[in-house]
Amino acid sequence: MMAKLSRDKMLSVLPSLLIILIAVVLISIILLATGANPILFFMNLFKGSFGTKRGLINTISKAVPICLSAFAVALANKVGVFNIGVEGQLVFGALGSAIAGIYLQELPAIIHVPLALFGGILFGMLYAYLPTWMYIKQQANLMVVFIMMNNLAKLFSTFVIIALIQDPASMVTASQPIQKSAYLPMIMTSPGKLNISVFILIAVAILIYVFFYKTVYGYEMTACGVNGEAADYSGINTRKYIKWALILGGALAGLAGAIEVQGTYFKLYDGFSPGYGFDGIPIALLSNNNPLFMMVGSLLFAALRVGSNTTQIEQGISGEIVTVIQGILVTLIACEYFIRYIAKRSMTRKKGRRMTI
Amino acid sequence: MEYAVEMRGITMQFPAVRANDNVDFSVLKGEIHALVGENGAGKSTLMNILYGLYSPTAGEVYVNGRKTEFHSALDAIQAGIGMVHQHFMLIPRMTVAENVVLGAEPRKNRLYDRKQAGKEVEQLSAQYDFSLPARAIVRDISLGMQQRVEIAKALYRKADIIILDEPTAVLTPQEIDELGNMLQQLKSIGKTIIIITHKMKEIMDFSDRITVLRAGKKVITVNTEETDANQITEYMVGREVHLGQGRKSYSQEEVMLEFQNVSYQDKVKNVSFKLKKGEILGIAGIDNSGQKEITELAAGILTPDSGKIIHNGMEVKIYSAKEIKESGTGFVPQDRHRHGLVLGMSVEDNLLLGYQRLAEFRNKKVFLNRKAVSDNAIDKIKNYDIRPTDRTVLTGKLSGGNQQKVVVARESSRAKRMIIADQPSRGVDIGATELIYQIFSDACKKGESVLLSSLELDEILAVTDRIMVVAEGWVTGIVDSSKTTRTEIGMMMVNSASKQEVAE
Repeated sequence: MMAKLSRDKMLSVLPSLLIILIAVVLISIILLATGANPILFFMNLFKGSFGTKRGLINTISKAVPICLSAFAVALANKVGVFNIGVEGQLVFGALGSAIAGIYLQELPAIIHVPLALFGGILFGMLYAYLPTWMYIKQQANLMVVFIMMNNLAKLFSTFVIIALIQDPASMVTASQPIQKSAYLPMIMTSPGKLNISVFILIAVAILIYVFFYKTVYGYEMTACGVNGEAADYSGINTRKYIKWALILGGALAGLAGAIEVQGTYFKLYDGFSPGYGFDGIPIALLSNNNPLFMMVGSLLFAALRVGSNTTQIEQGISGEIVTVIQGILVTLIACEYFIRYIAKRSMTRKKGRRMTI
Repeated sequence: MEYAVEMRGITMQFPAVRANDNVDFSVLKGEIHALVGENGAGKSTLMNILYGLYSPTAGEVYVNGRKTEFHSALDAIQAGIGMVHQHFMLIPRMTVAENVVLGAEPRKNRLYDRKQAGKEVEQLSAQYDFSLPARAIVRDISLGMQQRVEIAKALYRKADIIILDEPTAVLTPQEIDELGNMLQQLKSIGKTIIIITHKMKEIMDFSDRITVLRAGKKVITVNTEETDANQITEYMVGREVHLGQGRKSYSQEEVMLEFQNVSYQDKVKNVSFKLKKGEILGIAGIDNSGQKEITELAAGILTPDSGKIIHNGMEVKIYSAKEIKESGTGFVPQDRHRHGLVLGMSVEDNLLLGYQRLAEFRNKKVFLNRKAVSDNAIDKIKNYDIRPTDRTVLTGKLSGGNQQKVVVARESSRAKRMIIADQPSRGVDIGATELIYQIFSDACKKGESVLLSSLELDEILAVTDRIMVVAEGWVTGIVDSSKTTRTEIGMMMVNSASKQEVAE
């Protein structure tokens, strides 16, 4: 994949790199202001997430749901809509997978594992279908509906856990454990747990890459996203693409939720997702929808989460710093046009001046 | 004679292009001076320099005999220069008076003095005989009136030199005449006027002197009396242009497209016509008289509320752009930026748009055959003279004319029966316009039909077989191009009362 990157494409990732650089500088300033050593912070962050075998495995396994969420967001970006509902679909997918994992019994693992995963995918798709329908048929505001539905999903899953599938023995709000037959097979268990979802992720990434860049449909999706009206005029069914981009995004989000249930916790914890669905948004935007870059980006985001434990232990920096870093990134992404404008302006100033009137 | 503006040796170097190359340009006090040239000839750049928006790479600017160096439009305004942009810089929600005084408001105790503003604008309006409705909201008044507001804005700021950038692009023929009268009146009280344009009629009717630019260089400055339209065109293009001259009619009896009492919202009213095989049927009318909707109905983009549309003998049941396209119809939409092209994609990809599902561009059904796509692009770029010849460059970076060539190349090369084109020459230079009409004529020779809407009466008269005139959504007449006159069509364009009684 890398070999095909031309100079133009390299130039197009420049703003993303610049954003990350500015973020690092800003975080350092914040850390300095709170009296912490930023260099030590980044070293600890690195040591915690990539420095040890255990940390590395943790990081990779955390990156999976984040990356699937990023793919879900990227699908929507590609056709020109903004999918902020991944978090809700992920939670709902986890619920679906937990129900299939608990109630389907006495099945061999080879059937139960995919069936429970499919339960997650189905729940994710269904949960994405409603806002999609409202957007396409009723012209509802997609962003508002998605944000509302994120909250709904969280509260609804809490309700289902408490009312229907609660584990009375558990200290926290959590469901009964799922059947052993629904556990995702492990690649390794020591020094850290890594399940086969990594392979699922790689398969999905390859599929998306081929779909985006090699097929007629990928071409039509690009036309749809860059200029939907022109795509409409040329006879491309843009509504269909938007519909399926959102529903398949729901499927990916649901899959991410199912992987968390079947591969990490083996039960449904209330509030198990620290916001994987939201992590996907800056990753997809920074990666310009390229699956390879999204995988790298997800590793970095996962590293933040894993490494922040180490920084907390070593330096006493609260884990909340992760949220601060993400906040800074999102803000900078929102300023991307402005950053580009500044860069362009400083480049052309000498040649010809343009004043706004 | 004194010069109001003198620009000497102006050179403007942009990173990629030299927009102006050692241009000398001078305007006498109290004259109407037309600055003409094709798109991309450097007219706007030159005027933006005069208006202080750009600093030239080299050269000097004198206003009223004094050497000046403007750093912003404010400097230019203070020196008595006003500019009316092609796209009006008005705030639609505010009143005419508020728009006129905006940025130079009369004040009372540091606050905006609404009464005084209204009074001053009314005085101004009376002084120049503008009949401005000072209290009306700008979005409610006609485009012609909005342009007057723009001119009033310049006059309110005491401008003596007024630059008008493509002032007639949005005006009806009547409004163009009114503008002409207004300019003459401003001239009579000593104002200097520069109009940037490429429309021959206005150049000849309005101006005292003409300066022609071509490819960033000045070609000549002449007195309007001592030249004619053909000569100016030749200066602009660098060679003789004969739009539609010597064209033959390939019209046959077979009907390719028929509208039967078609209505769409309040835009198209009971329209019936037949487009014959090998024929170019023009649609003439004032802007926004239903031409856009008629072409979009024919292309399957819109669905009629009532009536029948018959393509190739078969009534259209499902209106879909895809199906009409697949039946062999090419469509060049009016707004190429919004509807015709994806500016953020390469020329190569745009030459494919709408045809990506053809078997030749597919590999094992789902994959895009990149080789075929680039072969297609190389072929089209060569045959349709698209510049630059780099097929991977973003379409948004092409000039208007070349963008339009991309659309026309794509649509005409795959149309087997019919090309529907809505204002294909809009914002396109003469060279490209000529090429586009040549392509249409060649298509007719092969037995295809062309439905062509245009606001340029001269073009439509020159290149079509028959002309259908529309007014307020009604068809007011269908006439033979060879037997009609400008005046006859002009009458029909404003006469919606006669409606349609012709079905031929």
